Amino acid sequence: MRLVSWIWFWYILVGFLMGGGAVMIWHYLKKASLKLVWFEWILTILIFITFMFLGQTFIASFQEYEPKAAWMTVAFMGIPIMIMSVLLYRSINKRFNNFKEADNS
Amino acid sequence: MAKSNTKHHSTVGRREFMKMLGVGAGAVGLGATGMGAFASDGFKDLDEMMASPLAERKLPFWVKEVDEPTVKIDWDNMQVFEGPEKTLFNPASWENPQDYFEIYNRNIASTKKNVQDNVPGLSLKDRALADANCWGWGGRSGASLAAPWDGAHVQANPQWEHPTMYYTPEQYGVPKYKGTPEENARMLRTAGRIMGAADMGFVKLDDRTKKLLWGKIKFENVEKGYADPAKNKFVLPDKDLWAICSVIPQSLWMQQYTERMSWASSNTMSYSRANIYGNRISVFLRGLGYQAYGGDTEAVGRLVGFGVMSGMGEYGRAGILVSPQWGTNIRTVLVTITDLPLAVTKPINAGITKFCEACKKCGEMCPSGAISLEDKPFWGGQAACQAEGIKGWYMDSKKCYSYMLGGEPDCSRCQTVCPFTKFDEAVLHDLIRLSIGSAPMLNSAIRKMDDIFGYGEEPDLKKTPWDLDPMDIPLYGLDNSRS
Repeated sequence: MRLVSWIWFWYILVGFLMGGGAVMIWHYLKKASLKLVWFEWILTILIFITFMFLGQTFIASFQEYEPKAAWMTVAFMGIPIMIMSVLLYRSINKRFNNFKEADNS
Repeated sequence: MAKSNTKHHSTVGRREFMKMLGVGAGAVGLGATGMGAFASDGFKDLDEMMASPLAERKLPFWVKEVDEPTVKIDWDNMQVFEGPEKTLFNPASWENPQDYFEIYNRNIASTKKNVQDNVPGLSLKDRALADANCWGWGGRSGASLAAPWDGAHVQANPQWEHPTMYYTPEQYGVPKYKGTPEENARMLRTAGRIMGAADMGFVKLDDRTKKLLWGKIKFENVEKGYADPAKNKFVLPDKDLWAICSVIPQSLWMQQYTERMSWASSNTMSYSRANIYGNRISVFLRGLGYQAYGGDTEAVGRLVGFGVMSGMGEYGRAGILVSPQWGTNIRTVLVTITDLPLAVTKPINAGITKFCEACKKCGEMCPSGAISLEDKPFWGGQAACQAEGIKGWYMDSKKCYSYMLGGEPDCSRCQTVCPFTKFDEAVLHDLIRLSIGSAPMLNSAIRKMDDIFGYGEEPDLKKTPWDLDPMDIPLYGLDNSRS
């Protein structure tokens, strides 16, 4: 039950993770001299929004004494997040590999 | 003096501390899993629970438990106090009782002057609200818990009465409260929230809505209504009247436990709160100089009907009111009749009745089979305790009551499983309600998802509130998320 009482802590943790993740991605892109194209930006924003929505629903479902709903939310929203993440990764990684090959030659 | 034995209590246990130190996203999942494990902790019996650390009173970490209180007490020389009759509220306990009455009269004079000068916070409506909350519970002042037909009979008692006790505008020397219907409605909604109503709507009594009153209630050309309970006669004055419809919620938190606990400790408890609220609103209205009729939850008429007409909810499949905010988790719409002019509130359409067509969850889950499973609403009123003239679904009250009151289980399944009966923590619920109100073609899918997500599943019989930290229990069992 104390998870509910310390709910502010989880939201702060999620905030730090999201912020840290954004900084890491920014560093990665800068290091690789990569710029995202328009659909990659859309995918990134969609992943971010869906992930935040998933996090809120997950925590709130425990507050509502509905643990099954919490885990079903992970299943239902986690799959589109994973699909979008793979698409984004493949798209960026492809250009990153092309960049590395061009750099090596 | 014995050395003080200090003992620090902290709500941050090892487990919580580890949670706080958790790094990475895995901590979220681990913590949630931990909570699930905690929630499933149970005790075999009451003795085991009493022996557990959970039974201890937990104090915030900055509070120390000490052997002696921080105020010094000389127990050897401490005088025993005679009793409450010796307090200064009793004139007889004063050396010169005249001193008491001087203070008393000064208080009454200043109270009256503040009301007459309409001082903010001390005006007529403020006094009426204070009296309602102070004395609306009934009891020693002469009112029983269930208020009588024409309002709580709170009587003045100069001997024991605190000067702030129940007064009418005449006693203050001011005319009765005057406001526009809109101002009156707003004032009443504010007072209602303070006194215990979750929401409030207003219906003007006209030729149509008078049919929602009990048939035994008659209108006569009298200035003030009256009742003769021995003759089952209840009379309202034949003039402009409004029905104040106050939503009294019940504990959704308690519904996670067994049917019996939910029924006995949530549903029925709400009746006592409703009756106390009924007294309060009566005192409030009379304190403003207006009439109040009704009193308890069964005094006036068909509560679902008044709830629908006042926009407190829509008519649901189970034949009970479904509120957009509280679902079916409301115990009653307490109706009070008054001559205070009020701006009416209109009925609402949140897609609830339409959703009931596709959902049927209450009907499928009803253990007595009392709730209709017809796809579409229909003109009915053929079975016992049903009224003709409504196109809806009908509940067979005999089947319901036979199951609910005729055996061990008690029941509130139709309320518990209703997809509208939810806490309001997750943003997801608002999106679902938006969809129900604007895209009814998704209703069947929403019902299926409600099942898949585990909402409305039968509670685990081993799960009880007895093994919780008492401070984790919401006051009165009423959750904060929907209030």
